[in-house]
Amino acid sequence: MTFVQKYLAWGAGVLALLIALIFALPGGKVRGFDAAGFGNIPILDGGRVKPLDSLARNSLLVIHSRQGFRYEGRTIGPDEWLLDVMFRPQVADQQPIFVIDDPDVIGLIGAKQTKNRNYFSFADLSSHLEEIQKQAQNAQPIAPQKRTRFQSAIVNLFDRAYLYYKLRNTLQLAGSPGLGWELQSISDAEASARHQELMQFAAFRILPPLPGGNPDAWKNVGEGLRAMASGQGVHPALVPLARLNAAYAANDPASFNQALADMNGVVSTLKPGALSHANNEVVFNRAQPFFVGLSIYFVAFMVLCISWIYKPDLLRPTAYSLLFAGAIVHTLGLAARIILQGRPPVTNLYSSAVFVGWGAVILGLIVERMYRKGFGTAVAAAAGFASLIVAQNLGTEGDTMEMMRAVLDSNFWLATHVVTITIGYSGTFLAGAIAIGYAIRKHIVTKVDPETDKALVDMAYGIICFALFFSFVGTVLGGIWADQSWGRFWGWDPKENGALMIVLWNAIILHARWAGYVRERGTMVMAIFGNVITACSWFGVNMLGVGLHSYGFMDQAFYALTGFIISQLVFMAICYAPARFWVEKPHGKA
Amino acid sequence: MIKTLASRIWAFFKSFQLTIVLLALLMLLVVFCTLAQVELGTAGAVNAYMRSFFVWHQFSFLSFPVPTFPGGGLVGLMLTLNLIAKTLDIQRSWAKAGMWLVHAGLVILFAGEFVAGLMQVDTNMSIEVGQTVNYVQSYKNMELAVIDTTDPTWDEVYSVPDTLLSKGGTIAIPGTPITLNVKRYFPNAELSNLGAGGQPSGATAGIGPNVAIVERPTVTNDNEMNMGSVLVEPIAGGHSYGIWLASMALGAPQSFTHEGHTYSLSMRLRRQYLPYSFTLKQFRHDVYPGTDIPKNFSSLVQVVNPSQKESREVLIYMNQPLRYEGKTFYQASFGKNDTLSVLSVVENPGWLLPYVSCVLVSLGLLVHFAIVLRRSLKRRQDKKEG
Repeated sequence: MTFVQKYLAWGAGVLALLIALIFALPGGKVRGFDAAGFGNIPILDGGRVKPLDSLARNSLLVIHSRQGFRYEGRTIGPDEWLLDVMFRPQVADQQPIFVIDDPDVIGLIGAKQTKNRNYFSFADLSSHLEEIQKQAQNAQPIAPQKRTRFQSAIVNLFDRAYLYYKLRNTLQLAGSPGLGWELQSISDAEASARHQELMQFAAFRILPPLPGGNPDAWKNVGEGLRAMASGQGVHPALVPLARLNAAYAANDPASFNQALADMNGVVSTLKPGALSHANNEVVFNRAQPFFVGLSIYFVAFMVLCISWIYKPDLLRPTAYSLLFAGAIVHTLGLAARIILQGRPPVTNLYSSAVFVGWGAVILGLIVERMYRKGFGTAVAAAAGFASLIVAQNLGTEGDTMEMMRAVLDSNFWLATHVVTITIGYSGTFLAGAIAIGYAIRKHIVTKVDPETDKALVDMAYGIICFALFFSFVGTVLGGIWADQSWGRFWGWDPKENGALMIVLWNAIILHARWAGYVRERGTMVMAIFGNVITACSWFGVNMLGVGLHSYGFMDQAFYALTGFIISQLVFMAICYAPARFWVEKPHGKA
Repeated sequence: MIKTLASRIWAFFKSFQLTIVLLALLMLLVVFCTLAQVELGTAGAVNAYMRSFFVWHQFSFLSFPVPTFPGGGLVGLMLTLNLIAKTLDIQRSWAKAGMWLVHAGLVILFAGEFVAGLMQVDTNMSIEVGQTVNYVQSYKNMELAVIDTTDPTWDEVYSVPDTLLSKGGTIAIPGTPITLNVKRYFPNAELSNLGAGGQPSGATAGIGPNVAIVERPTVTNDNEMNMGSVLVEPIAGGHSYGIWLASMALGAPQSFTHEGHTYSLSMRLRRQYLPYSFTLKQFRHDVYPGTDIPKNFSSLVQVVNPSQKESREVLIYMNQPLRYEGKTFYQASFGKNDTLSVLSVVENPGWLLPYVSCVLVSLGLLVHFAIVLRRSLKRRQDKKEG
């Protein structure tokens, strides 16, 4: 590697980091409104204080499956969208954001399914809301596993429409003259009914707790108005909120931005610290480190693939430096989540996917440092990319920093048991990925290269030892946690069994190898099967819906898991295909 | 001859093949056991697959069940023997010290699971706020309780376990003049009001004559209960008091009087009385602000143990159970609008074994890695020098 090549390679990594940094920078004003500043306002939702921006992103993700959309030639971000929903529902109602894929549901709302039109606006849905609600209420008593496709789809649509409806009626009742008018007509005849409605539909609590009260007693607008009507005075945040509302509806950016500054003043007096905590989370939201990370991993993987046929001396180190840059972004994202949440890295299925990918990437970086053949980079980039894609798909169900249910509320055990066992998953997946690389390589590379083969097998073997150690220790720690909190070490609960399967399988691979029953290829085939075992243990047991550990049933994931298992079996077959399929191909034919 | 046989057995038990076959069998068992939990519930599946020597299957063309697969007990036992043989076979040298420790630790881990399988008893205790309870009750097993309620301040309880009822025949209640003649025992049954054309229960006294009874197959699922029911005829002093129906499905106990003593009859979950009692002083169910997501459950309990002259308050909460007199009480459930707390109770005399094992295995792995690291460093050094 020449000096110039070295600099070019590292330059690519630095460039990737710079691009990642650009994501974290705040965007400009929207039509003169400081929408980003509005997104910074702290609220209480789902048991924790978070910025409105997080709520906007998660709601849009639930309703639209993305964090933004194109409308009338412009990209609408989550903050602007939420402003429209809450303060200009007449505008937001026209935006086609509801994704509906199920043909029966589309039929129900009277639109023909065409290739381009799976997106509907709230206005499109509004004339069918009663029917949607009726159908959903019929389906809701049925257990999620037993619902038909239509029933799942209609319940899902109803939940999304209801979320939208709640957002529309949280700060003002949609169709009313606004919050300022509510404040003026606090004692008119229908006021009490309106307050009741606002309380019932409130999607979040925006009024910070007053001094002297319970520090967690955030209120929603309806509760604030009710307190005011009963003579407890005006909550200091209601006035700037009403001005924000009026200015946005009247398209007056200057007054809006002024009202926002006043709102921030009120919040920082009532709840010092909440504003800066919210701001940190907004930076994290904007940076989207896991999305940026998976993009960098993808580029790194592509560059590495190209390096096998073109300019390997330049492109292989470039891919490594890109992988390194991706790992930095990924690590920062992980660290940010730990700090924001005040929890160890793995708290739910989403974060376990993020962490498994991170573990695989770090292991891959180490392997690449040791062998320098590009394989470590390839499998690490592929594993990091794949697991972050899984995480992105798991993260569409709402807040990924949800509060921990009572029994899981133990930072000590989350940090020890959960982290070690997840590292065990990472190792098993990485060994499987190396084995897949080995199998593919056997078929496409024309020349026989026993040295590289041996290096790959050594890598896989080393990583399986590593994975056995971590999954065993993690499983035993899990047993100890169970003994400490439930008084029994082992209960053959599905999640425990899943962890045990990984330990047993890795133990089988190692014993079979030590005894000489399997050699190179056998070890690799077994390592690929490790992927199947790990995936089943990780996701499969949640689908059974039994036991103390089952946190969250997923139906669509079942098909993804089946597809993954089939693909791994195919790879095993490829790896096990007899020698004549894969060595010493005549040149020019391959 | 004997020597060759012995050495063959020895070779069999220490072979790697056996290890791999057993590990594979164990994996399959774990898969079956996990899948079976959907139908059988956790306890049912574990008893069928793990805590048995064979997995039995009832084929429709045979009148008796046949073993179709080795159960967890057999595989575990073989694996333990394999492990012991292997451990003894490992070269007794410092270089193998780590592997020695690891395998010895695994033997203890298996022993722990055996002890748990044979001796662990799972029960529970439900207490309402303000109530004092001095017994734990089974999840599934039932008993027929015969209670002398004559003295308003003191109940004399005699109980007949369901296993004894299912044998039928006559059962003398010790300490009383009563003998129970068990007419029929239903492990699970459905009761209903006797309408026109219904099947009468066969009872002649108490509420039984007005009830229809249909036998049902027993259930093992965690969420379902067997409604064990029994038809008994109490006989005292040569006099029959009629045939009574007692059932899990019947609420209030029924009673009869013999020579001034009133005896009540009821079917209930099997109880084990304790030499100490728990009084629930407070139950808390905390949620995260503005949500229904549970943050914490806790029970403040007054433990009173006259034999130890002990009376103290204990807070039992998430991840913080009470270990007392060989039993572990942990916060498991709640009900009745947060006024009822359910504590799960586990008694496992071998609870320390996994801890010992864990220490041994971790130590062994560390020693082994240290040895391997030293060896590879030395090799690298030799390479440099050579």
